Amino acid sequence: MNPKFRLPFTVLALAASILLTFAIFRLPIRASSILLYEGAFADRVGMARTILKSCPLMLTGLGAAVAWRAGIYNIGGEGQFVFGAISGAWFAKLAVNLPPVVQLLGILFWCAVGGAIWAGVAGVLFVKRGVDVVISTILLNFVALQLLDWAVSGPLQELKHQLPQSDLLPASAMLPKLNRQLDLHVGIFLAVAMCGVIFLVLKYTKFGFRMRLVGAAPLAARASGVAAGKVQLGALALSGALCGLAGGIEYCGVTGQIGQGFSQQWGFLGIPIALLANLNPLAIIPSALVGGALFAGSENLARFTNAGSTLVYVIQASVVLALVAADKRFRGRSEVSTA
Amino acid sequence: MSLRVDRVSKRFGSVEALRPLTLEFSPGEIHAVVGENGAGKSTLVNILSGFVNPTSGSVTLGGVELRGGPLAFRGAGIEMIHQHFTLVGSFTAEENLALSAAQTVWRMTRTDDLAAKALTIGKALGWNIPRNTPVRTLPVGVLQRLEILKALAADAEIVLFDEPTAVLAPDEVLDLFNVIRRLRDEGKTVVLIAHKLSEVFAIADRVTVLRRGEQVFSRLIGDVTPEEVAEAMVSEMAPAIASKASVAGDAVLRITGLTTVGDRKELALRGLNLEVGASEIVGIAGVDGNGQVELAEVVVGIRRSTGGSVWIQEGARIGYIPQDRQTDGLAMSMSVLDNAWIEGVRRPELTRGPIRLLNKGRKWVRDLISRFQIRAPSIGTPVGSLSGGNQQKVVCARVLDQRPDLLVVVSPTRGLDLKATEFVHQQIRDARSSGTAVLLISTDLDEVLAISDRVLAISRGELSPLTTAGALVGNSQ
Amino acid sequence: MDFSIFIQLLVYSTPVALAAMGEGIGQKGGVMNIGLEGTMLSAAFGGAVVAIATHSPALGLLAGTAVGLAVTLVAAVFSITLASDQVVVGTAVNLGVLGITGTLFRNQFGQSGKLISIPSLPELYGIDAVIPILLALAIALWFAVNRTTWGLALRAVGEYPKAAESSGFSITRLRYAGCAIAGILGGLGGAYLSIGVANSFAENMTGGRGFVAIAMVTFGRWKSVPILIASVLVGGLDVLQFRFQAMGLKVPFQLFVAMPYIVALAVLVIVGRGTAAPASLGKAHQESK
Repeated sequence: MNPKFRLPFTVLALAASILLTFAIFRLPIRASSILLYEGAFADRVGMARTILKSCPLMLTGLGAAVAWRAGIYNIGGEGQFVFGAISGAWFAKLAVNLPPVVQLLGILFWCAVGGAIWAGVAGVLFVKRGVDVVISTILLNFVALQLLDWAVSGPLQELKHQLPQSDLLPASAMLPKLNRQLDLHVGIFLAVAMCGVIFLVLKYTKFGFRMRLVGAAPLAARASGVAAGKVQLGALALSGALCGLAGGIEYCGVTGQIGQGFSQQWGFLGIPIALLANLNPLAIIPSALVGGALFAGSENLARFTNAGSTLVYVIQASVVLALVAADKRFRGRSEVSTA
Repeated sequence: MSLRVDRVSKRFGSVEALRPLTLEFSPGEIHAVVGENGAGKSTLVNILSGFVNPTSGSVTLGGVELRGGPLAFRGAGIEMIHQHFTLVGSFTAEENLALSAAQTVWRMTRTDDLAAKALTIGKALGWNIPRNTPVRTLPVGVLQRLEILKALAADAEIVLFDEPTAVLAPDEVLDLFNVIRRLRDEGKTVVLIAHKLSEVFAIADRVTVLRRGEQVFSRLIGDVTPEEVAEAMVSEMAPAIASKASVAGDAVLRITGLTTVGDRKELALRGLNLEVGASEIVGIAGVDGNGQVELAEVVVGIRRSTGGSVWIQEGARIGYIPQDRQTDGLAMSMSVLDNAWIEGVRRPELTRGPIRLLNKGRKWVRDLISRFQIRAPSIGTPVGSLSGGNQQKVVCARVLDQRPDLLVVVSPTRGLDLKATEFVHQQIRDARSSGTAVLLISTDLDEVLAISDRVLAISRGELSPLTTAGALVGNSQ
Repeated sequence: MDFSIFIQLLVYSTPVALAAMGEGIGQKGGVMNIGLEGTMLSAAFGGAVVAIATHSPALGLLAGTAVGLAVTLVAAVFSITLASDQVVVGTAVNLGVLGITGTLFRNQFGQSGKLISIPSLPELYGIDAVIPILLALAIALWFAVNRTTWGLALRAVGEYPKAAESSGFSITRLRYAGCAIAGILGGLGGAYLSIGVANSFAENMTGGRGFVAIAMVTFGRWKSVPILIASVLVGGLDVLQFRFQAMGLKVPFQLFVAMPYIVALAVLVIVGRGTAAPASLGKAHQESK
């Protein structure tokens, strides 16, 4: 597709998907659209919800984009999100006596490290044993979810030992709120900043360039002496760190604790966010905001109808399919038979 | 029935692969077509087997025009023995033969029944083919026999062989020739695309020489001498060898007893020795698949050797122009700028620590574009949308600009037109003149002869010195 | 240990086994259907709805199979005809199905997803009709792949499409056929999950079984009978969990839930991709002109 048409096409596909989805589920189109819009943008509360929801999406979307740019399909954002949060919660348990700021920074740091480790497992298995990253990262998602389940009913369980969840963080160790009435926290700045950082890394650094090169033309990278395996491992770890950080922001910004329902598929939903943004780090900011708006809006919709956040999945899936059909970039690893 | 091409021509973009050509292939005759790379042999054979449609002219069999794709041509009794086998590596011989004989999917028959006909023919030829091991473990000679059996079991009247001896050992070649003669004696039409004149004179009844897409002559084998054929194939050779370069300087690259394996773990280099000095171009000629790519990759350090040693002068900058610019040389979806950066990230003056200095890089690439006369609308243009010649210029520019001490070049002008070829050659010569040691590996004999100071031939992973034209085309082997 | 544990084991592993055997056929032809999870989930839902509406579990199985087939063919249009990236397409299909089934489920059964109950299949000694079908299919698929020219051509397409093409077979048609079988079996497996195993439907009830099935294909080395055995072994871990709990052993049950995924991963590590994988797996093919 001509890059000039990409943005209008994406916007059109998004609008069409929303309307089509309403039509398929026999929702009144006008009323539903208004509900969706009001939930996301009508007032300060709606805007705050939109931004709040877009925080984890922005980071997991960024994580997916980083790996995919290097030609690695990281489908394991969910597992990295969760394992990152477990690592952070584990640190929180050990660090109760540290100053709150150190606690907060430590938790975020360990969330990122945990995500990187979880992704790194898949990376090592790929580089050393040739295990397909798509399958290993998916499988690791489920392992991470069970690990979370076990952790919050075992070693990380609240001191009261009643519910399968960790203790709440002290308010002083949470990400500062922007406004007393709204839930909005400073995590959004961190997420936007990370998009900027990754943009700069891809554009200005040698490592970023090599990542793009390995993703675009692995054989040319090899011929120029680039160790593709190491670059891909690095990209995957970076991707995992971002997804883990997303878990950290959700943990320290919203939930304050981890429990069974900790991840609302945020890791998985990063993939359509990244694809909508054409894997471009800066474009992920608006893409995640759109995703956040859809979720915020659909919550409003759910108050009046039975349809809720699940609608967003349908909308995103159909936009992705439209893009896939239209854009050569997502043509498969093809082999053209030449006579 | 004789197979005839009538004023057939073929154009690929701006390249004229075949100019109007008229030829007849008769039953009971082994008709050899010879020529260097780029002479139009593969285009001709692809037209004869229906894989490529001619731009103009027609292919007729017994007066009836053949149309449609390869299946239609097969249906008419034309079978091609590809240089790259169309066998499924994980299948057994039996399964491969059955696949070829199956015709339809609605059959519940055992593979040994389907393969029976081919195996019977094989037995009649005295071939003992292991039926139940995956063919990827079998030697290439046996694979070729399988290809031949596939053709014969399909009742082929016309059999096209595309450089069938390139991959064979000497005794396998003799056996193949016996089979080809037998086919001829049974009244079949045999078309043989060949490189080595010694083999052509050993087996062919008629020889046609192609050069740059045109027919030089087509004569009965008795009416022509090997020297005449060799000359017709490479007529520009004489002046080229006369343009000898300066004396070579100190050794920059020294290879002793080098062995390595290819991608499929096959032995690719067998104890190879080579020395390249400063200010000389050492040309290595040979047919594809004789270890050229592996040699280049070991020298530039992206393939491991299994034995022997590669010594490169300390601190020498190495430049590498790989064989396939579209997969190994360039990232087709990335811009001209980024493709230059593939080399740029290693240039100290374009980087600071881990950072790329983008402004300097842009200036550098604009300068490259003007110095190397690269025709690109802008530095942001995807390299894939440039012409082949300009793509190759991008590769040459980024590599040669760093003034490498050792330059490894593999088939740098494949698919380029005359002007672009001349340009690339001049760049390589200029590098040599400024002191670079050049290892030029190419399947295009004209090219090797045109710009090398010393010429060696590579065959089955070994080098041998070659000095005369006859020897180069395999006449003295 | 009595005989019933074996039957229970077979029942629990049947959804994964069916889906994995079908996916094995699709992969033999070179197409990896990452959307298998979506295939199963859509079939589980479609089957449940029809079974409840008609009070016929058999019709439910049939409907679920049809839904699974349809979903897989949609993915196939993208990955075969449009030569799109199979991973992207599969991911989108999974997401889309999760959304569609979730929305329809909430529409039909309310926001909270009240417990629904599906009429169960007639049984004989705890064995319903799907179990013999499962065993027969393993044999039938083995026969189709190894003893028919269709299977020969399908395998060739997955290994080296050019060889099949030059022998006169249509790569596109064979790949669609492979995907259709993957869709039918994935659909049957999904429908059996809601109708035969759970007698109920819940949002996202497949819970990764589609992905486990994909791993089982590698575990079973792309052969139908070994895939069946692998699936039963791994599916059996679920059953073991209940037994261990009944015995009062102090092993965290999460370990058992995670075990199929861990075992699948361990197997992939041990065997690697190896040479058993179809060489052109996951690669789109553009037909030559």
